[in-house]
Formats: sequence, C-alpha cells, structure tokens
Amino acid sequence: MGGNFPALLVQLQADLPSLISALGETVLLSVIITINGLIGGLLVFYLTLSNSGVVRKIINGYISIFIGTPLIVFLFLLYYGLPTIGIRLSPFVIAVFGFFLNVSAYNARFLVTAYKGLLPTELEAAKAQGFSRGQIFRLVTAPQVLRLAAPALASQAIQNTKDSSIVFLIQYTEFFAGMQEIAMRSFLFFETYFVTALVYLLLVSVIVLAMRRLERRFTIPGLS
Amino acid sequence: MALLEVRNLVKTFGTKTVLDGVTFDLEEGQTKVIMGPSGCGKSTLLRCLNRLEEPTSGSVRFDGKEMTAPTADVRALRQLIGFVFQNFALYRHLTVLDNVTLALRQLKKMPAALAEERALHELARMDMAEKRDAYPASLSGGQSQRVAIARALAMEPRVLFFDEPTSALDPVMAREVVTLINRLYLENVTILCVTHDLYLAQYISDSIIFLDQGKVRAEDKAENLLSGHADPVIASFFGRKS
Repeated sequence: MGGNFPALLVQLQADLPSLISALGETVLLSVIITINGLIGGLLVFYLTLSNSGVVRKIINGYISIFIGTPLIVFLFLLYYGLPTIGIRLSPFVIAVFGFFLNVSAYNARFLVTAYKGLLPTELEAAKAQGFSRGQIFRLVTAPQVLRLAAPALASQAIQNTKDSSIVFLIQYTEFFAGMQEIAMRSFLFFETYFVTALVYLLLVSVIVLAMRRLERRFTIPGLS
Repeated sequence: MALLEVRNLVKTFGTKTVLDGVTFDLEEGQTKVIMGPSGCGKSTLLRCLNRLEEPTSGSVRFDGKEMTAPTADVRALRQLIGFVFQNFALYRHLTVLDNVTLALRQLKKMPAALAEERALHELARMDMAEKRDAYPASLSGGQSQRVAIARALAMEPRVLFFDEPTSALDPVMAREVVTLINRLYLENVTILCVTHDLYLAQYISDSIIFLDQGKVRAEDKAENLLSGHADPVIASFFGRKS
C-alpha cells in the first residue's frame, strides 16, 4: 500500500485546466445522452404500441440489435467504418449519436416492461372519454410508465455516466481520456486510476442523490 | 326520435356470435337496465354502443348520428356518453380533482379555474369534494366509484353508461352507490346500465332489457319481469336472483 499520491497531485495541478475541461465534457456528454436517451426511449416505446405489425417488428428488431450489440462495436463502426464510405463525423457527434441509439433501446425496453404494470381499464376509460391515441399516451400512459420505470431509468442514467468513459477510444477527450494521458506520462497507474474511480464515484453519487429527490417528488401512492 | 337507437346489432368473435341482432331504443331522460345470464353479451353490447368494441354489423344511432358510419366522429360522440366501469378505472397518477378535470381541460378546453369549479360541483354531488386531493389508491371501492361517476357527469354527457357499477363493491358500498345512481335516476339523467344487481335494477330502471344468448328476449318494467314471468328462462333467472 502507499502509492505516490503527492507526485500525482503535482501532475493534477499542472493539468488542472485541461482536466476540468475534460470533466466538463464527461458531464456534458452524460447529460446529453441521458436526456436524448430518455426522449428516444419514449419515442421508441410509443412506436412499440403502434397498430401496425410491420412498425412493431421493425422497432422490436431495433431494440434487439442494440441491446444485443456491445456499444463499442457500434461506436467503432461509426468512427472507423463510416470514413471508408466517405462519411466523416466528429467524435462528439458519433458519441452522441451512438449512445442515443443504444440508450434509447434500453430505455424503451424498460418502458415496455413498465407498461405491463398499467391497468388496461384506465386506458379504456381514457378512450371512452374521447381522448385520442396521442392524448392517452401523453396524459395517461407516459406519466405512469415513467414513474413505474423510474428505478431502471435512474440506473441507466448512472450507467450512461460510467459508460461515457469509453468514448476516449474514439479520440474524444473527456475525463477518462485526460486521466489516461496522465497515467501514461507519469507511470502513476495505481494512483491515477484510483483517483479516476473516486471522481466517477462522486459523479454517480450526485446522480443518485438527484434521482432520490426526483423519486420523492414524483412518487404517488399506489404507483411505484 | 330516441336519443339512442340500436338496430340489429351483431358482434361476433371468431365463430362465436355474442350479440345476435340486438334492437332497442333509449329515450332522453329514460333509464334502462340490461340484465341477463353471465356471458349473454351485456357488457359487449355496452362496449359496442360507443365503439370500444367494433360491432360486426347493425346500426347505432346516437342523437340522430350514425355511430357505426365510417365517417362518424367517434371521439366527439364519446364525449357525449359518460362511461362508468366496473373497476372504476380512475387514473392512478392523478388526484381525485385532476381525474375529474382532465377531460374538461384537455377535451373541452375549459380554463383550469372553471374546470375545477365544475369538478368540485360534481364531486360535491357525489359527496366526494373533501377527497379532492386524495389519490385513487387511498380511496375505498365505493369512493372510487363515486369519483368515477363524478368524472363522467362533469362532461355533461347526454347519457350515462354503467357497466356493472356495484359488482366490485361490498354490499354496504354497493348500497351507497345504488343510492347515488337512484338520485341521478330521479333527476331524469338518461342512463343505460348493465348489472347483475337486482336491487340496483329495481331502484333505477324505467324498464329492463333481458338479454339471452345475444338476443333481446324481453323488455319490460321491472315488476312485470320479476313476478312470475310467462317465459320460463326469465322466470328462472329472476327466481334464482330474488
């Protein structure tokens, strides 16, 4: 035990501006993919309720593909594969787009599962009152499935923050990439990755606290 | 012209014919109760009338408009028909007040204050105003059903459909709900009610439609059907009930 943390501290102080900027990139990316993934998940979930069997099959195929494929494979496909057919996108665009498709699929699956907890008579009552399909989704289905799926969606938000570190593999300079560079330069591998883990733990703790607050605010008796 | 005119209504599920040429009228201000053995098609009939189920053939005219026409504005017509379900079907994520105001705000585009005033009026009519901020999970069955009735009434429907309104309630709560529906009956609210509850049928009906194997077997006043009817099926049904 021990470790040369004072030496790492010197390195961190020297790289502080770029590390803060990289940490900002991580937070930004996590927020974007969490919000995009939630919107995308709701959209995909809505399409799973389509009357069209073809649409449902396509959507279920999409969900299966993205849940069954490692995210990194898809990111590499976009980053290394697309330029071979003349399409070149920035690492940020690839990260946002890749995560959007992946996280949307997972969130949609959570919402589909939560949908099974809805009472069919509630949806029928809304139909009998004269609400349209879109209104029923917006006013009855979505508010309930979002609450029922809240724990799974919160876990996904935590996962997003942790998974965002893999974008360093497509040359996107976020926090992990910054720390990786320090480790390579200083050879303080244990110390650097230990501190990196602590920072991610701190970020995740903030999300957990925020989620708990949201949960307390939106919890409804009989619907959790 | 009757408010609701049902002619030769047929509903089949695969090879099973559930409704087999049902015909009847419901006048404005009238209350009719649909009774019959389990599986005779009572609930399916009610659901076909506002097209929660698509009828296979036949005609349903509501307020002179053909409900079953391909061009019918079914959503607009549904807003004129209050539907109260057996299991209350309150929106669990909304308070009692929001359950009642939702359709007023979203469908009738009523300003929030006006919708709230209207909802509170109907909740008070059902003795439920003090529960305005409660969520459905904290209500008893009887209270839930009263909120469901208030929700339906708030839209000022031309007719109220009840689908077994007391069958999910214990006897005490069921009597409370019967009393409230009876109050509506005495106020000349147009009602079409499917029930097994003879007590309810007696207290709210101008006449009873007896449905058997998807057909209207008889339509008559409660007292005529209940006291030794000539038709052995009807006599046997009410004999068992009373």
